[in-house]
Amino acid sequence: MADRRVVITGLGPVAPSGVGIEAFWSAALAGRRCVRRVEDFDPSNFPTQICGPLTDFSARDFVPKDYRKAVKVMARDIQIAVACADLAIRDAGLSTPSAPGPGHVPDPRRFGCNIGSGLMCADMNELGSALVSSLSDGRFDFRAWGSGAMENLAPLWLLKYLPNMLACHSTILHQCRGPSNTIACGDASGHLAVAEAASWIRRGAADVVLAGAAESKLNPMGLLRQTLLGRTCVSRNDEPASACCPFDASHAGTAIGEGGGLIILEELKHARARKARIYAEVVGWAAASDPAAVDLRRPTCGNVAAALRRALAKASLAPDQIDLALPHGTAVPAEDDAETAAWSVALTGRAAPLAACTATGAMGSLFAGASGISTIAAAMALHTQTIPPTVNFTAPAAPSSLTFQPTAAWTPLRAAACASFTVGGQSAACVLKRYPA
Amino acid sequence: MKRRVVITGMGTVNPLAHTVEETWSALLGGQSGFGPITTFDATTFPSRFAAMVKDYHLEDHVPDAARHATAGRHTHFAIGAAVQAWQAAGLAQRDTLDREALGLYLGSGEGRLDFDNFMSCIIDSWRGGAVDTAAWAKLAFHRMELYREVEQEANMVLAHLANRFGVAGPAYNVLTACAASTQAIGEAASQIRAADIDAAITGGAHSMVHTMAITGFTRLTALSRRNDEMETASRPFDLTRDGFVIGEGATIMILEEYRAAKKRGAPMLAEIVGYGSSADAYRITDQDPEGAGAAAAMTAALADAGLSPKQINYINAHGTGTKQNDIVETRAVKAAFGRHAPAIPISSVKSQLGHLIGAAGATELMTCVLALRDGTIPPTAHLTTPDPDCDLDYVPNTPRKAKLKYVMSNSMGFGGQNNSLIIAAVK
Repeated sequence: MADRRVVITGLGPVAPSGVGIEAFWSAALAGRRCVRRVEDFDPSNFPTQICGPLTDFSARDFVPKDYRKAVKVMARDIQIAVACADLAIRDAGLSTPSAPGPGHVPDPRRFGCNIGSGLMCADMNELGSALVSSLSDGRFDFRAWGSGAMENLAPLWLLKYLPNMLACHSTILHQCRGPSNTIACGDASGHLAVAEAASWIRRGAADVVLAGAAESKLNPMGLLRQTLLGRTCVSRNDEPASACCPFDASHAGTAIGEGGGLIILEELKHARARKARIYAEVVGWAAASDPAAVDLRRPTCGNVAAALRRALAKASLAPDQIDLALPHGTAVPAEDDAETAAWSVALTGRAAPLAACTATGAMGSLFAGASGISTIAAAMALHTQTIPPTVNFTAPAAPSSLTFQPTAAWTPLRAAACASFTVGGQSAACVLKRYPA
Repeated sequence: MKRRVVITGMGTVNPLAHTVEETWSALLGGQSGFGPITTFDATTFPSRFAAMVKDYHLEDHVPDAARHATAGRHTHFAIGAAVQAWQAAGLAQRDTLDREALGLYLGSGEGRLDFDNFMSCIIDSWRGGAVDTAAWAKLAFHRMELYREVEQEANMVLAHLANRFGVAGPAYNVLTACAASTQAIGEAASQIRAADIDAAITGGAHSMVHTMAITGFTRLTALSRRNDEMETASRPFDLTRDGFVIGEGATIMILEEYRAAKKRGAPMLAEIVGYGSSADAYRITDQDPEGAGAAAAMTAALADAGLSPKQINYINAHGTGTKQNDIVETRAVKAAFGRHAPAIPISSVKSQLGHLIGAAGATELMTCVLALRDGTIPPTAHLTTPDPDCDLDYVPNTPRKAKLKYVMSNSMGFGGQNNSLIIAAVK
């Protein structure tokens, strides 16, 4: 099956900067900055009070009328994924029951789904309303809960938070009955999902796959956990738009964003037969792990160096055949510095610096969603031969083989490499090539 | 030349036992792993029992348990199981594996919530029908702790195993609900076949025997409420079945590329010859009633293995013991195997082990490896009242001797993600 090639034919971003590929890409080229003060809840006693929220987003716009009721049993992460799926499928010109159109109807049995997700947090107000009916002496009472109070929770409550529901709702809506997976591997999930989906197509298990990831940690627990990890920016609550500055000398932590990106991966001949628009070809992928990263007090970038090296090898590309880097760029100083070093190692043998871009400065960290979004940005960069700007970057924090531009640049781009990593040490890389080359 | 994948080591921590062989004897001896829930006060809950791992201490498995002190309960299970598998594969004695070509692929669940602090912060900041987040933040930053929070992320089991075994290769964790570890093993085998890696530590670990998960499954009416007969409460394919018995545990396997395993003289317990994955794409609350999704996974696994339906000698069922699952699964087997279905023995070890959720698939595949080795099919226990809608051969109550060449293990995840694996003796 080595002759089966994998291309990207649909892009579905849901990002703080824009929903849908047109809005997302024009905001990216304009360098639109979306980090602002938290408005969804009172953040006044949180050390970090800034975020990259989705604005004017309603998942109800992305499902058929008879499915709108089901949006109530979707946590925010699931809602984002469902919207990404709808956007990606329509962008690919595919026709499904939930996104009907004049386009090609994929064979459900050959249509796979691989969506990465993070740890979803229960809505504390929903839980609290049920809890307060079971208190004794102001404390949670297991006996009152077990003998009836738990019935104040909706019967389908658990389904709202199961990580596989991103994929399950999407497969139901779009009739993807082929291979189906849910990767729960933190920020690396999106690239791991794209990698695995590409391997499904290459080995012949599917012809079309909906792949990527979505996540929202924009809730009190998310802010708390990332702050306990020391990853959030706590010093710039009064200047949110410029607070998050990956790889810049002034980087001081990240902002919590939310969003996701799903893409349509398709076997090349299948895509050509239906005359699909091809954004880029997926030519290499790899993952690698850092055995020392279990120590959370010593931040790392996982094993991005090995992931990149192995992904380039799989793509049969040398470091000087890559024209664009899309690092994970969390803006957490120790992570940025580690990632900068990792790219230098992976690019060993390359003479010139490598142009790079990251969206984290503009919208904050999207966690699992970030690796979905960076794959989309890589595909668009290759398709339009454009490097989007990296906002909030003026001077590098450490000597680097990557160069970031303040404004969009039109330049020949042959191939792009994206990387991601997560707390705990898992990391992944994907290499995309311009199509046609 | 096609790269073949063999299982060279297995380890387990489950409600019946903390070793592979003791688990097997317990299964064949008709033991059940069910008892009252002890992790929280469940005495008024509609379901007050579970298949819990008993008397488990990580110190019994590793000399340096303190290294994993911050880890969650399911991570401790995973470490114990992985150390056993590593030893069984002969790697503790002589380890020549290239660390970048060694992958980790798990179907591990999320860790448990820091329940008391999570609840008390909500309750103590409750003002006028909602959490006052400013008040909440003051309390939460004081009460909650870094490791208790971050260890809940599903990828943290990977971090501990990577640390323990020095894994620098790809590390994946998947959460396709009850099908997770079957999928993990299938995808790990695929990565070895594709030459992305040469070996993998794979399987699953999960513990959902905690307040919110039991609450969630209770609200879904998925759990057996047979509190008065908890020892026999899990009754797959029996007319009187009333839900699954939730369990916890971990099973880890070492997979290796056949030639490399042969070269180092590794034990070869079984070969993974087929893997199939599918989605029901039906409803989030119900399985496709005709079982088309589950049948598609089985058919895909058969095609992957290049086998015809009549070549399968035993099917290890998902067999949860819920009203719906067992009927749907019966229909799915009929759809995939056609006229051969009635002749193929099928059994559900969940009748004795309970439902280990993410860890279920790997644990069940382990029993398939043992069945293949001993020519013995583990029974479906507690099957005394046949259900007219479940009319296949479920190997009721007593183990059966049989000549086994190809064995299939099925897992069907809540939400409709299905996975099937086929194993064979190594030739």
